[in-house]
Amino acid sequence: MKLAFWSALVVLCLLAVFGAACNRANYAADDKSKVHVGIVFDIGGKDDRSFNAAAFAGVKCAETGKSPDGTSCGKPALNVLVRDIEPGNPTSIEPAMRAFAERGYDLIIGVGFAQAPIMEQVAKEYPNIHFAIVDGVSNLPNVASLVFKEHEGSYLVGMLAAQASRTGTIGFLGGMDIGLIHRFEGGYEEGAKAVNPNIRIIQNYVGVTDSAWNNPGKGKELSLAQIGKGADVIFTAAGNSGLGAFDAVEQAGMQNGRATHFVIGVDSNQNMVKPGFVLTSMVKRVDNAVYAIVQDVVNHNFQAGFHVYGLDKDGVGYAVDDYNKSLLSPEMIKRVEEARSKIIAGQIKVTDKMLN
Amino acid sequence: MAEIFTIALIWSTIRLSTPLILAALGGLFSERSGVINIALEGMMLAGAFTAAAATYAAGNPLVGLLAGMAAGTLIAAIHAVACIRYQADQVVTGTAINILMLGLPAFLSGAFFLSSGSTPQIPKEQLIPRLPMVIAFVMVPLSWYVLYKTPFGLRLRSVGENPEAADAAGVPVARMRYAGVLLSGLLAGVGGAYLSIGQSSLFTRNMTSGRGFIALAALIFGKWRPVQTMLACLLFGLTEAISIQMQGVVKLPSGDDIPVQFIQMVPYVLTIIVLAGFIGSSRPPQALGIPYQKER
Repeated sequence: MKLAFWSALVVLCLLAVFGAACNRANYAADDKSKVHVGIVFDIGGKDDRSFNAAAFAGVKCAETGKSPDGTSCGKPALNVLVRDIEPGNPTSIEPAMRAFAERGYDLIIGVGFAQAPIMEQVAKEYPNIHFAIVDGVSNLPNVASLVFKEHEGSYLVGMLAAQASRTGTIGFLGGMDIGLIHRFEGGYEEGAKAVNPNIRIIQNYVGVTDSAWNNPGKGKELSLAQIGKGADVIFTAAGNSGLGAFDAVEQAGMQNGRATHFVIGVDSNQNMVKPGFVLTSMVKRVDNAVYAIVQDVVNHNFQAGFHVYGLDKDGVGYAVDDYNKSLLSPEMIKRVEEARSKIIAGQIKVTDKMLN
Repeated sequence: MAEIFTIALIWSTIRLSTPLILAALGGLFSERSGVINIALEGMMLAGAFTAAAATYAAGNPLVGLLAGMAAGTLIAAIHAVACIRYQADQVVTGTAINILMLGLPAFLSGAFFLSSGSTPQIPKEQLIPRLPMVIAFVMVPLSWYVLYKTPFGLRLRSVGENPEAADAAGVPVARMRYAGVLLSGLLAGVGGAYLSIGQSSLFTRNMTSGRGFIALAALIFGKWRPVQTMLACLLFGLTEAISIQMQGVVKLPSGDDIPVQFIQMVPYVLTIIVLAGFIGSSRPPQALGIPYQKER
C-alpha cells in the first residue's frame, strides 16, 4: 500500500518535471500560423463583471470579433489564438506567466497592478517576447504599460453623483487600499466638489490585502453604513466586493418608481447589474486597450513604454445606455460634457492622487 | 461618536456574527468529538457556492439553503472518512479541503454558468437574509442543550475527552465522531449559505475571506462552549461593525483620515486584549486531534 503510494507519487513528480519540459518552446497542439496571446488575469477572475471582465472582452474581441455574450464587439477578429489563466492566488501568477513564455507565445498580457513586478522579472528573461501590463508600469524594452487616467473618468462620475445626490452626502467604496484606487477616489472627490463645494464624501476601503476584491459581504456592510450616514450615491471601485454596494442600494428600495439610493459601477459598464439603481458606470476601456495592443503585435507594430488612455482617447468615460437614461437629466449630462471637453483641452486639471 | 453607536451598529453586528456563529457551532460539535476542524472555511465555501447555484437553478432559496447544508455535510464527510476511518492528520486533511474548495467552485461554476468562480446574481426576492440568522441564534441554546443535557451530548464529549474510557463503556467512538464532523459540515454549510444568499446575492471566489478561521478562533476563545463561543463571535462581529462604521468618519485631531490599515487592525487588537486580559487559559478537549485506534 505504502509502496504503491510512493511510487505513484514519484511517477507523478517525474511526469510533472519532464512532461512540462517536453512542451518547451512549442505551442503544443495549437495552430502555429496564428499569433499567440496569453493573458493572466488578476485575482478577481475574468467574470468579476468589472475590471478583469473588460480585459477578457478585449482579448475575446480580438480572437473572435465578438463580445463574451456572443454579440459583435464592433471590431474585426484578428488572426490570433488566445489562452487565459486565472490564478487562484498571487503565488500562481508567476508560473502562469512563465508557462506562456516557455511555450513561445507572441504576446503575454498581465492584468492588474500586482503583476507588474512579476512581469518585470519574467520579461527580462524572455527579451524576444512582447509583454503588456494593464494598470502597471515597466521600463523594459519589451513591455508595454497600458495605463488609464481613471481620475479623469472618476471626476465626471463624481460630478454626476453630486448632481444626483439629494442629501449632500455621497460615498466611495474602494477595494484594496492602494494608490491606484486612490486615483479613482481623488478624481471622484474633485468632480463632486466642483459641483457642490460643501458635499460630504465618505470613503471606505474593503481591505488591505487582495481578498478585499472578493468580499461582497463586507462591501455591502460598508455601503449600508454609508447609507446610514446619509450617503445616497455610492461609487464603487472594488471588484467583486463592489457588488455588495449594488445589493445595498437595492435593499434601500424605491420611492415613487425612482430608487432612493444609487450606485456607480466601475471599469465595465455595470448599468445592467441592477437596472434603475445604477446611476452610471465609470467605464475604463481596458477592452479597447487590450485589443489595440493585440492588434499592434499582429501588425508587427508593437511599441514598448506607456500607452496612456484618458478621456481624449475614450480610454475612460461614463456609460449612458437604456438602463440609466431616465436617471440622468439633460442638464446633468450637459454639465459633465462641458467638463469633459475642458479636461481634454487642459483647462481643468484633475489631480492624480496616485502620484501625490 | 454618536454617528458610530447606533441601532444600525447592532444590526450590522448581528449580520456579521451570523456566519461566524454558525461555523463556530459547527466546529464545536466536531472538536468536542475530538476531531480538529480547520476545514470550516472550505465547508462554508461549499455551502455558499451550492446554495447560490441551487437557488439560481430552482428559484427558491429554501432549496438553496438545503443544498448548501448538504454540500457542507458532504465535504465534512470527506474530512470525517479521512480522519476517522483512515486516521489521517486532521490539520493536513482540513487544509487540503480548504485548498480544494478554493478551486472546486471555480471549476463547477465554469461547467454550470460558463463563469470562472462566481454564480449569476440572484434576484432580491429570492434571498433569505433573516432565516439563517434565526437558525444561528436558535442553534446556540439548542447546542448547549444537546451537548450538556442529552445522552448524545455526553457521549460526544466523552469521545473527545477520553475515547478509551468511552469505548470501554460501550460508546461507539467512530460513530460519535462521524456525527460530530457531519454536524459541523451541516452548520458551516448554513453559515456559507448565509454569505451567498443572505448577506450577498451571489457566490464569488473565496468569498468567505477567512471567516472560517475567525470562527475557529472564536471557538477556542469561547473555550469550546456554545454560549461563550456565541459571545466570542458577537465580539468579533461587533469589532468589525465598529471598524466599518468608523472608517472614513472618525478623524484624527489633525483632521486627517485614520489610515484604513489601522482601523482594520482594531478587531484583532481588541481580540488579543480580551483574550490575554480577561479570558484566561482555554483548555481544548483532551483527545482533540488524536485519532482513535481501537485496541485489538
